[in-house]
Amino acid sequence: MVNKYLLLAFSALWLIFFLYAWSLSRRQAFLRKELEELKNKVGRGRPSDSRPS
Amino acid sequence: MGKILSPTVHLFVTLAWMIVAYWMIFLYAPQELTMGEVQRIFYIHAPSGWVAGTAYCIVFLGSVVYLWKRSPLADDLAHAAGEVGFIFCSGLLVTGPLWAKPVWGIWWTWDARLTLSFVLWLLFVSYLMLRSYVSSPGRAATLAAVVGIIGFVDVPIDYMAIRWWRTQHPQPVIAGGEGSGLDPRMFLTFIVCVGAFHCLFSYLLIQRLRLARARRELSAIRRALAIPPSED
Repeated sequence: MVNKYLLLAFSALWLIFFLYAWSLSRRQAFLRKELEELKNKVGRGRPSDSRPS
Repeated sequence: MGKILSPTVHLFVTLAWMIVAYWMIFLYAPQELTMGEVQRIFYIHAPSGWVAGTAYCIVFLGSVVYLWKRSPLADDLAHAAGEVGFIFCSGLLVTGPLWAKPVWGIWWTWDARLTLSFVLWLLFVSYLMLRSYVSSPGRAATLAAVVGIIGFVDVPIDYMAIRWWRTQHPQPVIAGGEGSGLDPRMFLTFIVCVGAFHCLFSYLLIQRLRLARARRELSAIRRALAIPPSED
């Protein structure tokens, strides 16, 4: 039978790593989405903006 | 590094290295005679500490370069290392008591090594809190860099604590001088684990750096469009 402290230590460490990796991927996805939206906004605005007034 | 090693390849190498490390921890390394199975925590506890030390060295170097050159890349690197280092330092502080309890009969004691490791964790926390709570990004980066530099003094003292003072924490088994050392199979397993943890650290660090780069790009676009920053 596996020692309970050994099991707890390995599980806790990987839980910490997975939670961090999950939070990182969530933040990356959120930023990527926002970046795309803003790039689209800039792209849409460009032709009219570049016209001389 | 992203150009040399794609994120997918880097992740694959990390996973493969981890699998080898786990195989060595549970099937290759011999069982320690006095502590038994629980001693295998050593193979994840000590590498977590080494990575936390490496991370703080990067925080220190990034902070020095930032204050010297005002380089945003150095600041991003220090910030990323601070965040990922905090994760590994937390792992160190979680696995330590889980090893101490069955071996020493106590979860924690305020000896030099444990106290200095806890101080290192507090330094990571202070560094990250400073970055979050100071509203001006330039001021936050400067203040955090100062903490990153001053706090670095803890790293070598923490490393030397078990060599300089008599502690409850075991004396060094790596580079500990006469009378110290490990069984060759245990030593090899430990080295493979240190490598695997550093590989995981570098993967997370690069991902965190990408996030910082995307944030800077976003801020630049927002400034160009005169859009106020969102709450993220």
